[in-house]
Amino acid sequence: MRWTPKDIDTFDKAREYIDTVLVPLVPVAFENGMKQSASMYDFITLLTAAIEHQFKGRIMLMPSLAYLSSVDIDKRMELVNDWKNEIGSFQNIYFITSDSEWKAREPEFAGTLIWMPSIPLEHFGEEQVRTMVGDQARQVFDLFKRKWNEA
Amino acid sequence: MSKHNVSRRQFLSYTLTGVGGFMAAGMLMPMVRFAVDPVLKADAGGDFIATNQKVSDLTTEPKRVDFTYEQTDAWYKSEETKVAWVYKDDNGKIVALSPVCKHLGCTVDWNTDKSNPNQFFCPCHYGRYTKDGVNVPGTPPVAPLDVYDYNEKDGMLYLGQVKPHKGA
Ligand code: FES
Repeated sequence: MRWTPKDIDTFDKAREYIDTVLVPLVPVAFENGMKQSASMYDFITLLTAAIEHQFKGRIMLMPSLAYLSSVDIDKRMELVNDWKNEIGSFQNIYFITSDSEWKAREPEFAGTLIWMPSIPLEHFGEEQVRTMVGDQARQVFDLFKRKWNEA
Repeated sequence: MSKHNVSRRQFLSYTLTGVGGFMAAGMLMPMVRFAVDPVLKADAGGDFIATNQKVSDLTTEPKRVDFTYEQTDAWYKSEETKVAWVYKDDNGKIVALSPVCKHLGCTVDWNTDKSNPNQFFCPCHYGRYTKDGVNVPGTPPVAPLDVYDYNEKDGMLYLGQVKPHKGA
């Protein structure tokens, strides 16, 4: 499901089936790293779209949670925890990001952080982009299938 | 400050409830309809889209065929990728099924559920379909997979619109 009124209607009717939320964590930087942060955003947007497409009926893809890279990581962690608490009614909550700063805080995510190294897609043609994002997405597909099977 | 607010509120209430509101709605509605219905618009002509699949290479084993076309979504033009599961049935007739699960829309796979071989399988809530696309009773989907119109040109497979399954 995507965050659209139409999908929310479907969600309301089939809540028991949509048990997984995916929240993209997207850094935004000005001055230094502007281009890189845009590149990460591009990558995560395509990647999560592929994931949503594959698992439309079970995953709710949230709007990206964007934050300034310059903001202290502790503060950002609070933000993440706020989201976690608010979305708590879902059985599975996952955060997905290319921002390596989160990796240091992995324990606090308690298994809900999916970190994917970003690919600078701007250097490739459309066909290649599709293949590369598809390959990355497949890794995440497997992860979700495994998690669901455990439950 | 407060004076400014009042006058703005008055202005808004005039425009929204008065004749202006009707006019604005009349102008907006057709535009909104275009914005939300790009797929319908694009498919209205029933065009077929070329795939990279040679018809002669198709077998009785369903094969995943990806194809792309350009979609205009309000302001964005984007390449939309679609998928079909294609095979030849026992009479040599081509069958092209939509992979969109009729339960809640996940993408189904062929033959990935070890305990139920040679079926389409939905990883989301374990919906299943037999090879002809018909949903297996007792699994969540309530209808068979949709079917693509297809065409053959210069030996290549072309896919068109999805239609409800005839067995439905
Ligand atoms: S979306 Fe396929 S079984 Fe639920």
